[in-house]
Amino acid sequence: MTVYVKFGYTLLGLLIVLNWGFLMGATFRKIGARVAGRYGIPFYQPWLNLLKNISTRTTITHGVMYYIGPVFRLTGGVGLFLFMPMVFTGDPAGLWTNYSFEGDLILILYFQVFGMLGMALGAGQGGHPYSAMGIARGLAQHAAVELPLTLAFLSIAIQYDTFSVYKIVEAQQGGMMNWVLFTNPFAAVTIILAMLGAMGHSPFNLVKAPNEILIGPATEFEGTYLGFMQSAGSILHVMEAVLFMNLVFGGATSWIELIVKTFLIYFWSVFVGMVFPRFKIEQSVTWFFKVPLLLGFLAIIIYSF
Amino acid sequence: MISPIHILTIGLGGAFALGFVPKKAKDVAAIIMLFAIAFMGAISGSWLLSLINGGSAEQIFTAGFRPPYSINLLMGLNEAFLSTAINVIGLLGGIYLYKSLKSAGNHAIMVFLIFIMGLNIIVMTRDIFNLFVFMEIVSIATAGLVILTETGKSIQAGFKYMMATGIIAGIFLLGIIFAYYYSGTLNIDGLTSANIGLAKGGSVALFLILVSIILELKSFPANGWGLDVYEAANPGIGAMLSSATATAMYFVMYKILEMAGPQWNYYISLVGVVSFVGSNLVALKQKNSQRMLGYSSIGQVGLLMIILGFKDILGDNTSYIAFGILISHYFAKAGLFWLAGIVKQKGIKEWAVIRKKPLFLFLMGTFIFALIGFPPFPSFFAKWTLVMDLINTGNLPWVVAILFGSMMEAVYLFRWFGYAIKGENENIEDFKIELHKIIPVGIVVVSLYVVGYFTAQHTEVGAAINWIPLLFVAAIFVLDFLPVFVKNTIAIIGMALYFYNIYPDLDNLRLIFEAIFLVGGILTLIAGYAYKGKRTGFYPVALLMYAGLTAIIEAQTTLQFFFGWELMTAGSYFLIIRGKRSMPHGLSYMLFSIGGAYALLTALGMAYAGQGTFSMDIINGITYLPYWAYGLLIVGFLTKTAALGLHIWLPGAHGEAESDVSPMVSAILLKAGVFGVVLTLIGMGGPNNEYTWLPYALGWLGAITALSGNLMAVFQEDAKRLLAYSSIGQLGYIVLGLAMMSHLGWLGGFSYVINHFLYKAVLFLTIGAVVLRVGTHNMYEMGGLIKRMPLAFLAVMIGIIALSGVPPLSGFAGKWLFYNAILEKGWYFQGAIMFFSGGIAFLYLWRLIHTVFLGQLKDNHRNVKEISIWFLIPIYTLITGIMVYSFKPQWVLQPLGDMIAQYFPDGQLSWVGDTAISKYGHWAGTWVAVTVIGAFLIVLALLMLSTRKAHKLKQFDITYSGERPERPETTHVAYNVFEGLYKAMWPATIPLVEAWWNRVTDFLHDTADIARRIYSGNGQIYIVHIVLFIIVTYFVIIGG
Amino acid sequence: MEYITLITGFLIILAGLWAIMTRKNIIRIIIGFVIFDTGLHIVMVSIAYVRGGTAPILDGSVSIADAAQKIVDPVPQALVLTAIVIGLGVTALMLAYAMKLHQEKKSLNIESFKDLKW
Repeated sequence: MTVYVKFGYTLLGLLIVLNWGFLMGATFRKIGARVAGRYGIPFYQPWLNLLKNISTRTTITHGVMYYIGPVFRLTGGVGLFLFMPMVFTGDPAGLWTNYSFEGDLILILYFQVFGMLGMALGAGQGGHPYSAMGIARGLAQHAAVELPLTLAFLSIAIQYDTFSVYKIVEAQQGGMMNWVLFTNPFAAVTIILAMLGAMGHSPFNLVKAPNEILIGPATEFEGTYLGFMQSAGSILHVMEAVLFMNLVFGGATSWIELIVKTFLIYFWSVFVGMVFPRFKIEQSVTWFFKVPLLLGFLAIIIYSF
Repeated sequence: MISPIHILTIGLGGAFALGFVPKKAKDVAAIIMLFAIAFMGAISGSWLLSLINGGSAEQIFTAGFRPPYSINLLMGLNEAFLSTAINVIGLLGGIYLYKSLKSAGNHAIMVFLIFIMGLNIIVMTRDIFNLFVFMEIVSIATAGLVILTETGKSIQAGFKYMMATGIIAGIFLLGIIFAYYYSGTLNIDGLTSANIGLAKGGSVALFLILVSIILELKSFPANGWGLDVYEAANPGIGAMLSSATATAMYFVMYKILEMAGPQWNYYISLVGVVSFVGSNLVALKQKNSQRMLGYSSIGQVGLLMIILGFKDILGDNTSYIAFGILISHYFAKAGLFWLAGIVKQKGIKEWAVIRKKPLFLFLMGTFIFALIGFPPFPSFFAKWTLVMDLINTGNLPWVVAILFGSMMEAVYLFRWFGYAIKGENENIEDFKIELHKIIPVGIVVVSLYVVGYFTAQHTEVGAAINWIPLLFVAAIFVLDFLPVFVKNTIAIIGMALYFYNIYPDLDNLRLIFEAIFLVGGILTLIAGYAYKGKRTGFYPVALLMYAGLTAIIEAQTTLQFFFGWELMTAGSYFLIIRGKRSMPHGLSYMLFSIGGAYALLTALGMAYAGQGTFSMDIINGITYLPYWAYGLLIVGFLTKTAALGLHIWLPGAHGEAESDVSPMVSAILLKAGVFGVVLTLIGMGGPNNEYTWLPYALGWLGAITALSGNLMAVFQEDAKRLLAYSSIGQLGYIVLGLAMMSHLGWLGGFSYVINHFLYKAVLFLTIGAVVLRVGTHNMYEMGGLIKRMPLAFLAVMIGIIALSGVPPLSGFAGKWLFYNAILEKGWYFQGAIMFFSGGIAFLYLWRLIHTVFLGQLKDNHRNVKEISIWFLIPIYTLITGIMVYSFKPQWVLQPLGDMIAQYFPDGQLSWVGDTAISKYGHWAGTWVAVTVIGAFLIVLALLMLSTRKAHKLKQFDITYSGERPERPETTHVAYNVFEGLYKAMWPATIPLVEAWWNRVTDFLHDTADIARRIYSGNGQIYIVHIVLFIIVTYFVIIGG
Repeated sequence: MEYITLITGFLIILAGLWAIMTRKNIIRIIIGFVIFDTGLHIVMVSIAYVRGGTAPILDGSVSIADAAQKIVDPVPQALVLTAIVIGLGVTALMLAYAMKLHQEKKSLNIESFKDLKW
């Protein structure tokens, strides 16, 4: 397999992920509307949005960082995809493992921040107070989510004695009972809870704060920038789900399995979001420091002796 | 050779001759006196030279009889040295007091001459009654001199002095007569051989003699009368009392103790330690500079008494140690008293006036550093030898007591010095300089340095010290009148040449640190070109710090190491305290440093115990109390790395320092502590050491330090304090990594050492340069500066990405190594805390870049310029370093790994091309960087293709709260940004450590305040003290 | 007999000390010192006393040969003389101080001179 073939497959995978992200986003909006007794958007709305956004005739800009911000964000999404093994085929250099040979779980964890940073800096240059507030809240919540999540990741790494996502997926093959969900339930539950924060739906969506008027970092962008942001957001959503799928739910051996699993993972956060109202930031921070943190500690303690 | 008896004849004759000088010819009288003292000095000096060159001692028998039928004097080496010292200080003191003596009249001049002569005889006499007589003469002369400047206070002090010395002399006389009764002789040598201490009555006689000498030395606490004299007398007289009288009386104590026999040694040490610790403790509350110096003098004499009591244990080193302490005290205390007379301020706060003439600040600093025992002064070498020998002979508790007392002394002396450097001085009248007062001060200052050098040469280990860096510092000091540009160039060239010469001799471990110290030093110095004018005093102290740092690296012996450590402390103290509001932070830095240095000193003493060598190898495998020794070493080094508990000095010190000083003390200086920890851990025996809990505790400490440092950084409003707290956190990572005692842990730790140097220097330099432009540290007063300073913004952005550990920049290497190390070591919780701290770091990093560079530009910053080119040069040089490390991590990590493998051979990374493979994972740094950059460029190209010409917005082209804002202040979200997080986490931000240290200091100060109330000011109470002192010591020594 | 003088000497010393420590008037304190010194001198002389000895003067009644047995020890007597002289000097200086103190505050009470403390 040449470098080009690999590159082509990776690009194809990226397209799948992008479109699946759009569809999932639309689904979320649709479900939200239906719960609220509205009809909601058509499922193809995100594509229309993208098309409209990237074809606006004029854009405005607040400066270089504002311009680069969406690039950072999208690079963050794409990079995350590149370093993630998507579909397990038994071959570490397989078609859908992307460029995961370049790094392991730690790389993925830290690369998540790359996009966030770009968005933060870009929106910051706009000078709108809401962007700064949103980012401050987002970072605070992110830090709080990270603690239980890190404990759970460590627990899984201890369990399988590896940081390689591919190897973790490999180890979970051969039936549901091999999934981390069952072999390491504390870590799994910690991740399932902490994931809600990572996904950023209600009750942990003060960052985006879709109040009566839309405010927050993302709304600082328009036109092509917004298009890029939305694409990046979709990719990131899927990639978050794929990460949790790989770590807890046995990974995927085919795209279909991947789509089903990520949908369910995603739906879990949507479901919670529909039921529970939004937290204030100090509430969400303390929430992660209670049950998820405790479970995270348990997940580590069982491997400490 | 002139007979020593002529010291007496000249003194007496001169005094008589003065009687014939007409009353109005005061100049003639004063000059006769000075000549007389100079001649006395010449006699004793010539004897000193002859005796040093192997001449034999001279006995002088008066009246043609041999003792016991006559009084005899001895001119041996000790006597020659001490009488020379007395005459020199007498001459200098006479010059200093020239005008005061003259205005007081010929009688005062006469009394002064008699005073000096009396001290000479006290030193030389071998007859105990003669000793009594001359002690009385000196007492009466002193009482006369106390009222040289006649004020209400000096009269009171003089009277109390007379009362006390009257009683003491009576006790002494009683002792003499009993001693005579039991031995039939008054000759000291005769008394020695009579050995009267064996009889019960004889020991009472000895007790009376000893206790009166102890009291004459103004031992704590029966010394209120002495303190009053120090406070109220003319400072010139204070200098005489502290230098000349104390020196002479100390020698009396030596003679008497020889006579009394070794069974008294222990008690003398006991009295000495009570005096040393007690008076230094009580001095804590002192606000009057002269009285404080009095306390300090009494303390120093106490220390000398301890040494005397240990003379049999210290053996041959006794005189070396006593000499070092005595001579430092002798010069420094005289100098400080003289300065007090020049500055003419009583309150320690008012001493701020001294820096109106910077040279005087240097004089004062020299004296204070000499008193505390910093290199290169004699007291440093003496204290070193004392501690080494005491621990070697199993007297550790004494060392602890001595160092505790020294610590107290450092507290009040450095507080005083802090006021002098930084206190408010606008409303204080400048002081006048009189030539005759300056000459003596100048001579003692120079003498301190010269004697210090020769003191070092006296021992083999001291002679090995490399003085070249110090000479360079001295040269820069002399050239301080030149403009910044010239001095900066000289400094940079000097350091570069030095590094070029030294680096081939270093092993890899030391080379890493030396490169951080010197290359980093050069880079930060380049920023100095941005300063205009002379920058008085900056270069000597900066270079002093670098001289210390390089001495640590080069050290072959523990003495050299400690020498460098103290130089570095001194230099960095001066650097730190240069900041505008740095006074309290400079003090706490100094105190933590001294405390840490004492911990190191003790530990190095333990390492020396039983080894008989000072080679650096002795810290490998310490055998004497090894747990304590290694623990103390670590604590000592952690004061420099600012581990939690020992960190409270850092935020203020680094935050308030000057713009180019912050990176020096943060990015560079902190690594000295790390180097120490590295040496200690290697010394403990590497991977399979037996000290399991020590690294374990260290690991937890590192993790908690990382968390609290980062958390505190999040809630700072001051940009430089934010970075300072961040340093605490980063150093926590390093400590944790090293504490893991594994290959990967050390690799991670070292990766952080290098990275922290790079990015913290970038961040501190950039923020410092921004602060220079905008004139504030408060982030909420900045904002939107990206438009004005794009290059600074870019530098900070790269700095924060590197610091946060986000790929592809170099910080990720550390994170990746740490995860692997944690998993291997099994320190999951410590690791989790550390990674959580990493998450917290994003918060303050974003805050830093956002509130300074993004958001709304303030009206008063609309015209600020890009930061100075002189800052940009080092910043972008360092960024090049970050980039190289990021794109080719193997270039750094592979040699590091090889170096660490010497100590930790197991668990190395394996490298396949650019990919690092550990037991658990893999990371291809170069490829990750290429991939990310590639993706970034592709996305950027896409964006550029799909965006049309963008319309540029102005600053307020946004809507907010239904209106278009027009004031940046109301729109820039910067103050208390993390309000939500604070509401959730405030309990973790309570400064418990600071509160704890405050309680410690309050407790000490309150104790001091209660204890010093015994000095009620009533002369009778002081007599009661003396009587009680005698009774208590009697029961302790004889009754008990 | 010699013990009587010795004990008396000590009692006088104590009396002097008592005066120094308890009297408030500075003149009385100085007198206390004089008493204290006197006591010391008595002690010194009585210590040197040899039972039945004569004054240490070498004249017709005491030959040089048997001087050592017959006379009391001359050294303490010489010492006492010196001590008396010194005591005189000290007392004189103290009185001068007392005068200065009185000039300063128009008081001779030792408790009014507590400006220097702590």
